[in-house]
Amino acid sequence: MPAPMVKVQIAGPKKRLEEALDRLYRLRLLQLTPAGSEPVLELAPYPGDAERAARVEELRLRIAQLDGLLALGETSGEAGPTEASSEAELARELGELMPRVEELTARIDDLRTEAAVLPRYLAPLRLLLPLVPELAALDESALDALQLDTIVLVIGTEDDSVLVALRAALRDLVGERFELVSARVDSDAVGCVIVLRHEDADAVRELLGRERVRSLPLPAAYESLSFRGAVAAMERRLDELPAELDRTSDELRNLLAPQAPSRRATRSALAAKLDQVEAIEQLGETRRAFVIVGWTPRRELARLRDELDRTASGELVLEQLDERDAEPPVLLANWRLARPFEFLIRLFDLPRSRALDPTLLMALFLPLMVGVMVGDVGYGVVLLGLSVFVRRRFGGGSPAVRDLARVFFAGALWAVVFGFLFGEAFGDIGHRLGLRALWIYRDGPDAVEPLLVFSLVLGAVHVVLGLALGLWEAARKRSSAELLERSGSLLALVGVFALAGVAVDRLAGIALLPAAAAIALGLTLLIGPRGALGLIMGPLEFVGTLGNVLSYLRVGAVGLASAYLALVANRLGALGPIWLGLFVALFFHVLNLALASFSPMIQALRLHYVEFFSKFYEGGGQPFRPFGERAAQ
Amino acid sequence: MQTGLMALGAGIAVGLGAIGSGLAQARIGAAAMAAIAEKPELTGRAILMVAIPETLVILGFAVAAMIIVLL
Repeated sequence: MPAPMVKVQIAGPKKRLEEALDRLYRLRLLQLTPAGSEPVLELAPYPGDAERAARVEELRLRIAQLDGLLALGETSGEAGPTEASSEAELARELGELMPRVEELTARIDDLRTEAAVLPRYLAPLRLLLPLVPELAALDESALDALQLDTIVLVIGTEDDSVLVALRAALRDLVGERFELVSARVDSDAVGCVIVLRHEDADAVRELLGRERVRSLPLPAAYESLSFRGAVAAMERRLDELPAELDRTSDELRNLLAPQAPSRRATRSALAAKLDQVEAIEQLGETRRAFVIVGWTPRRELARLRDELDRTASGELVLEQLDERDAEPPVLLANWRLARPFEFLIRLFDLPRSRALDPTLLMALFLPLMVGVMVGDVGYGVVLLGLSVFVRRRFGGGSPAVRDLARVFFAGALWAVVFGFLFGEAFGDIGHRLGLRALWIYRDGPDAVEPLLVFSLVLGAVHVVLGLALGLWEAARKRSSAELLERSGSLLALVGVFALAGVAVDRLAGIALLPAAAAIALGLTLLIGPRGALGLIMGPLEFVGTLGNVLSYLRVGAVGLASAYLALVANRLGALGPIWLGLFVALFFHVLNLALASFSPMIQALRLHYVEFFSKFYEGGGQPFRPFGERAAQ
Repeated sequence: MQTGLMALGAGIAVGLGAIGSGLAQARIGAAAMAAIAEKPELTGRAILMVAIPETLVILGFAVAAMIIVLL
């Protein structure tokens, strides 16, 4: 069961509100609920006021500014003061800092744009220069003296006939008084230079504008240079740009980095304040008092009471409310060893607050199933090492990775245990080195039957356990329909097992009649509560339940596949020269290990989510989110 | 001859089941990925949905195992 929750109200004089909220925020024990919607209390919701709304806006703006600065000055291993600044200090600091930061970021943007744009000019110019060598050497004043003008174009086309049309249009306009040279820049663009007399230039530009041909005016800095001079200048500039960009970025970083730890602290202080101001909306009020309503885990109630007694000179009052009709938030509370498996439950769906929490059962069965499927001492030990490595290396930052690594660790432990039962270490290498199977060799000829029977028995136990839990849940909820259906499934299933036992001569023939009777009675119970629809749905559900048991065959099947792949790796390794054999065997073992670290976990998860949970699980719980939780993240 | 036919039958039982599972999982998987992209909290249910048609190949395997073990 998830941790039992109690609903409490905390009341106090309004002048103590800030103090109370700050304490609750730090304690992280209470999930707030809107006090105004409590029917028993009949409280007015805490009035919204313009001042508070403005405060929320101000805090949000400051946080956004700090986020922006922190993103810009991201460096590793920065040292500096870690105390949070007060809001007044922050405002002054930002006022001084922002103009310089804006200037530097604008400069960085300009430099990046320049680095992106210059190559677009360079490529066509480089191609066109050799075609007009005399022209390329003339600068603006020389061209002016000659009364000449130049237009550089890049036409996006794959079709060379566009150039013919352009030449014809120019000839119509200015006769023969122009020169056009062109070169293909790439497969879908042609670069052109048009040289023409000064007095024709405007007419030609107008023509190009009309035809929507875009010319490529040189950036202002290069306009007065000759083409050749412009190309050389652009190349020089492109060489300089990365260093200048680095210099400016460094300057920005150096400006921001020393204060980054302090800014981070300020940010979390502001975020805490924002959370607290926003939380006021959830509160209720009387004329002189505020009222906070929320959920807290029952086991923390005494601590919460003690802490509140020590806050605000003991002027806060905590009372327990009636929570029978309300749906409490869900906080999973399991033994330490089972806790990593809560992650897998959350991945599926949280149980409802008063329903069963299957974490402990999952912690028992899931690693066992993974262990049966991997079933190899060698792979198990490698997986043990890998899971410890992953937990140490990557687990610090991510609780999900840490939990998953622990789940894998448990699976790997069982893999070692079953490895001894199957006498496997990296396939049959263990067997060859004298490792004796305590149960069966999976790669032997007689292994299939016992392994599949074991899988089916495991499935039967698991599904029957699920049905029994479902029965218990139905009895607790006093739902007679569910009670009848689940007992029907259980009875019919037991009947089928007995029938199978008789069929394979494990049970005496006398069991035949009771088995048939159990099936008939079970089916009747399955059909009955549903009425006419039950005639179809009842048998269908029973067939589904049988399918669920058969589904556990995958435990044996995946295990056999893994054992055979290891065997193949060793057999292939024994062929050919030793170095090649080692390489091939290593390759297949690594492949098998990769499969072993992924497939059994997915299969075992599926068996839980689909086959096991469908018998009793009630999902849809809302997670417990204590006030102040965001500060912890 | 008979052993060969039995092996063929077992192969077909698993193979057709696998093809069926694959076809179903291809469609469910695509839809599940789209759903996860929109709502990452659906990951668990998506795994469940993708895993459901696997029963087909397991049943195929059960038939194949029966052919090999029982016959």
